[in-house]
Amino acid sequence: MKVHSIIGKDIPRTDGRAKATGQAIYADDIKLPSMLYGKLLRSPVPHARILSIDTRKAAAMPGVRCIITGQDIPRITYGNWRLFPGTQDEYALAMDKVRFIGDEVAAVAAVDRDTAEAAVEQIKVEYEELPGVFDVTAALTKNAPVIHDTSPTNISIDRKIAYGDIEAGFAASDYVREDTFTVHAVSHAYMEPCACVAQSDLDNRITLWTSTQTPYIVQCLLASTLNMRENDIRVIKPNVGGGFGGKMELRPWEFCAAFMARQTGRPVKFTLTREEELAFGRRRHPMTIRSKVGYKSDGTLVAKDLHIYLDGGAYNAMGPTATFLSGNFGAMLYRYPNYRYIGEHVYTNKPPASAMRGFGAPQTLFAAETQMNMAAEELGIDPIEIRLKNAMVSGNELPGVATISSCGFVESLKAARRISGWSRKRKRLKTGRGVGIGCYSFISGGVFNWFNTQYPFSAAEVRAFADGTVHLLTMASDIGQGSDTVLKQILAETLGLKMEDIRLTAADTAMTPQADLGTWGSRVTLMAGNAVLDAAKKIKEKLAGAVSARFDLNVIFDIEFADGRVFAAGKPDRGMTFGEAVAFVQKAQRGEPLVYRGSYTPRGKGLVSPAFSFGAQVAEVTVDTDTGQIQVEKMWTAHDCGTVLNPMAVEGQLEGSVHMGLGYALSEQFVMDGGKTLNTTFLDYKIPNAADMPPGESVCIDTFEPEGPMGAKEAGEGLVSPTAPAIAEAVFHATGYRCKDLPITPEKVLKGLGKL
Amino acid sequence: MPVPQFDYIAPKRVDEAVAALVEGGKETRVMAGGTDLLVKIRHRMLFPKRIVSLKQIEGLDAITFDKNTGLTIGATALLADVAAHRSIRRYYPTVADAAQSTANVQVRNMGTVVGNLCNASPSADNAPTLMAMGATVNITGPTGSHRMALDQFFQGPGITALKTGEIVTSICVPLPPAGSGTAYYSLSQRGKLDCSAVGVGTMVTLKGNRCMDVRLIVGACAPVPMRTLGAEKMLIGKKMTDTLIRKTAQAASKETSPITDVRASAPYRWKIVAVLTIRALADARKMALGKR
Repeated sequence: MKVHSIIGKDIPRTDGRAKATGQAIYADDIKLPSMLYGKLLRSPVPHARILSIDTRKAAAMPGVRCIITGQDIPRITYGNWRLFPGTQDEYALAMDKVRFIGDEVAAVAAVDRDTAEAAVEQIKVEYEELPGVFDVTAALTKNAPVIHDTSPTNISIDRKIAYGDIEAGFAASDYVREDTFTVHAVSHAYMEPCACVAQSDLDNRITLWTSTQTPYIVQCLLASTLNMRENDIRVIKPNVGGGFGGKMELRPWEFCAAFMARQTGRPVKFTLTREEELAFGRRRHPMTIRSKVGYKSDGTLVAKDLHIYLDGGAYNAMGPTATFLSGNFGAMLYRYPNYRYIGEHVYTNKPPASAMRGFGAPQTLFAAETQMNMAAEELGIDPIEIRLKNAMVSGNELPGVATISSCGFVESLKAARRISGWSRKRKRLKTGRGVGIGCYSFISGGVFNWFNTQYPFSAAEVRAFADGTVHLLTMASDIGQGSDTVLKQILAETLGLKMEDIRLTAADTAMTPQADLGTWGSRVTLMAGNAVLDAAKKIKEKLAGAVSARFDLNVIFDIEFADGRVFAAGKPDRGMTFGEAVAFVQKAQRGEPLVYRGSYTPRGKGLVSPAFSFGAQVAEVTVDTDTGQIQVEKMWTAHDCGTVLNPMAVEGQLEGSVHMGLGYALSEQFVMDGGKTLNTTFLDYKIPNAADMPPGESVCIDTFEPEGPMGAKEAGEGLVSPTAPAIAEAVFHATGYRCKDLPITPEKVLKGLGKL
Repeated sequence: MPVPQFDYIAPKRVDEAVAALVEGGKETRVMAGGTDLLVKIRHRMLFPKRIVSLKQIEGLDAITFDKNTGLTIGATALLADVAAHRSIRRYYPTVADAAQSTANVQVRNMGTVVGNLCNASPSADNAPTLMAMGATVNITGPTGSHRMALDQFFQGPGITALKTGEIVTSICVPLPPAGSGTAYYSLSQRGKLDCSAVGVGTMVTLKGNRCMDVRLIVGACAPVPMRTLGAEKMLIGKKMTDTLIRKTAQAASKETSPITDVRASAPYRWKIVAVLTIRALADARKMALGKR
């Protein structure tokens, strides 16, 4: 195997210093001359018809420059599933109805924030309140209030997957169990609340700086909703303080900023507050998961019948994708000869759920992995043994969906068992202390094109210069996950350059090559990485030709790129510096710069993803059986993310995942009263603190993914899933209480133990 | 939401502060660290027209200890300073622990013990222990100065016995009697850094194993941090056995009137009052017997 000089090394994040010293520019840091400040008026009721809106008093306030309502904007819906316009169910501002507390009704732009906020309070809206539905059961009741006329049953979309013969499978099973699991909504809780600044120039072109994961999608949807041409919209992603799936759609403030900038001729900024984010923001789908599984008595899986209701809230958002993916995550870890999935996405009068780190996997895997642990218990088989028996291996098929290429799942299970001291601990821990396991598999980007892009999924342009530097341009979006660093690493390694030789321009839709579908589904390293490799390969071809010509090399010679030089393999003196080689090519091209485009679009890779990651995690907990409080003592993780491009970055993703998984498992939840979110600050929306983080140990399984850049696949998202089922099983092992409805609160533990 | 406009006054002397309060009337608020007040203003729960800061008043942040008169904590003494103070750690370890378990590092470096009390949150971490130890508050107002027992100070959520123009200048905690032990236990859903869903503070005074005196205060389970007098009576004069502690804890739980809110349900709080009372009494007993 090739020895790398940059790949596989702990390369610090290239944006780390700027962020640590406060110099990194985020959307809210941007201030333009004569900029106005925007504020949204949101619905105070969960479901109502808008009878009238009176903005006169607000408009008369000194300093107010623009007020818009649904009546002022084009009546054009938007949504990320452009291929199916029927799923596009949102307007930037409510037209006739509001569907959740927080639904955007009007927007104000004023000379300062206080004025905008004061003006919003002066807008009078007359509502005719309608009955609301706040959970799936209520939404599906006969004669339930209809939230969207286009979906009279309140089911907005369903997806089905089926293979094998499910009935025959259950008939052939020795052991069948059926369980219902419920999982709750949690917040992305990115550190940077959403913010954007829009500017309209004299040609009426819009530039929008926005905290987004998907500049290209925002560009396209902003163009369609404003009735403008795509190329007249420029979206620039500044530094982004996290997204986790919550910033991957066009959002009302982005539209309103652009619209009002055009109306007023002045830049308009919106910055959301944390309270707005928690009370009205996107969240992870709550689900009701009914799962029936059949096993042979030796633990071999025979059949699974999975039905999921996704509580989608008031609009589709990314719900359709979550509905599709949940069915795939239900059968990605193990071989199910017979499988059936029905997923139904249900409207309710709550803030819309959407994509969130794991995109359906944390929910479905909590159910699937918990059920696997329950089956292991009843069949008298060790939880790791039963998994080893059924584990997906390289070459296995998800029938009609995908073939698993690289797969280190079995190795992950064995490594997790070894480093955690599993076998000993399962036998010999005292009451109140327990260990449990949870596993995951995840996609490395989606192959589906519901956005209906006409461009490659990812693209890169590399410009090489005679001074030995290169300029990488890509629309890929670093939102804090570190993709800028990794893409630079890939390019530097390929061209034999140093990190500091590479200038990067990223995520500017007017300046970087079309296109990139954005940061979601753990797609960036694989897809943008491949696009960078593709462009780099073309640059290398040219430079290799130049060196070959200059030194009159036999055509059979390999040309190497290392240490800033380009030379004949085995004959380092037959070569020149990278910059000299570029100059040579440029001379030969009569001044034409050395520039190449590369791209990646997955083709012939089935229906889900070009590559799959796997992993296993063991949790050890102590449960205070008098108070029900759970202390996670330690987490052990073994996972397969293909070639580890940057160990430090992978470790960061792992720790972040454990942190998020811990909150999902134990403490984070929205306390709702009907459609109203009661805990809208971090005092009462309980994200684990640094002090709550358990220590951890981890192993990366060495695999090579043929479809990934340099063998890599995803490491940022799948890892968030195993934590909750691992902790739940550890709590069961410690106390005998089995949690089937997240989160595992102290109250539930005490109730489960019959003490409350 | 817009931050309401207000005047900010930072007098150098207590009498000036009192005058500024009297002049400002009802829409004036006193500020020490500001860690509760400014958040409430920002969230538009309060709309003061004037804020009188105590931070410029010299000596008001003093912490003094004297073996005869006990401990005095000034109005602007920081939670962090109380938590770290050598004499407090030695003679009033539970007072230090309670200060240390309040909020997080940033709040402890800004916020004050007296401010935590004047905020009058039923869940205030510092109240139960200080009440259990018989603390008194020193109050200065337009008509002069007076003292008040801390357990008379709290009137309801966010409401104290302070009258217009009055300021708490310090809190005094008598030296714990010989044979006494103290403990404070609190609990929340998140773990280490959090607002308490239940808190229990106690001081017991033993002669041998016999309970001569006890004060038991429960936080976050009533409109104010509350003394559970019935439970206390069960212990006084009795041998403090494990069985009696368990019975007392049940009684203490019954005396409280918790509500269900975003932090915990009422039934859970009732249960946890009993659990934490057992732990607090057992710990205090251990300390009184010199075993902790």
